[in-house]
Amino acid sequence: MATAPIPGAAPARASRINPWVLAAGLAVVVPLLAVLVLNLGRDPHSIRSPLIGRPAPAFSLAPVGGGPPIGLESFRGRPVVINFWATWCVPCFEEHAALTAAARTFREVQFLGVVYEDEEARTRAFLAERGSSYPSLLDPEGRAAIAFGVFGVPETFFIDGAGRIVEKYVGPLDRGTIATLIARTKGGAP
Amino acid sequence: MKRLAFALLVLAAAPSLAAAPASRAPAAAGGMDAPRSQPLSGGELDARTNEIGALLRCPVCQGLSVADSPSSMARNMKAEVREKLAAGYDREQILASFERSYGEFVRLDPPLRGVNWLVWLGPLAGLVAGGAVVAWALKRSSRKAGAAEAAGSASAPSDLPSRDTLPTDARLAAAVRRARELAYGWPDGIPPKPRSSVS
Repeated sequence: MATAPIPGAAPARASRINPWVLAAGLAVVVPLLAVLVLNLGRDPHSIRSPLIGRPAPAFSLAPVGGGPPIGLESFRGRPVVINFWATWCVPCFEEHAALTAAARTFREVQFLGVVYEDEEARTRAFLAERGSSYPSLLDPEGRAAIAFGVFGVPETFFIDGAGRIVEKYVGPLDRGTIATLIARTKGGAP
Repeated sequence: MKRLAFALLVLAAAPSLAAAPASRAPAAAGGMDAPRSQPLSGGELDARTNEIGALLRCPVCQGLSVADSPSSMARNMKAEVREKLAAGYDREQILASFERSYGEFVRLDPPLRGVNWLVWLGPLAGLVAGGAVVAWALKRSSRKAGAAEAAGSASAPSDLPSRDTLPTDARLAAAVRRARELAYGWPDGIPPKPRSSVS
């Protein structure tokens, strides 16, 4: 067979793209790229709590150091800040001072600690050493942590006077952030 | 075609199915409804606890179920599942109660609703669409081939030699016919009439 080019045949067609193929390709690739680009800045581990805007789960837990159980209902009408923490959690040390100071500053707000997977003796020693201006509650079976959808410590919930969760903050808090979130919680109260 | 119709039916039914669990969720927001099942105990309680634990994601682990994780968080969750089963709550009620705290993330087997339909129906839709494209392309190429064959038998539109054309040189033409007789078994090298019907 001769391999000489046949006049008037193929070469012109090779560079032309079938518009249907192009459209089908774009229909598949563009949405995938859009999803990718939109989620580039998102941390896949940070999941928005479904509890935000909903009533806070009820609990009744004994405070560290003894005493009658404390429930959330008894603070109805006041904003409540619930901080899940543990003595084995290093970021919790950092925010402990800020929370203690904030509890003294914002007298109208009730601060509560909930001890997450820790022993009472260690917790008591920690609080005796570092001081505290609000009660910490024991949650030995993790019921409150599960009800609040806690993934780890520290996690802090800001609850308005009507008992609704307004904000959830993951990670150590500083004074500025506490003040901002308390202001938002008060603003959200009816 | 039947498959396509089925897929369309399923897609059409999706929104109504998706709406059902969503409308039920707010009613149960405060706490749990009344137990919908019988209280369990003994071996059955253990078995059902593990079964439901396997459907729950351990929040502090990487891709482990509550049944498989040795963490204390998972142990606590398992204890709660057990307690709820013993109180007579059914599987869906228990899964929903954890979902209220942790979101859909906590379910290892996402329920069929909302955007999740895409995960289930996407591959099926892709298969149907791909099948349609292949069928269309096959039909088109066979139609083209048929048209070319018909055109080739009538009058050659292109410059390419067809099976009916012979060189003008008589000796060469005789050689080509001889070759065609040998190669294709055509008597005297004359091609048979093309079939009139195109498959």
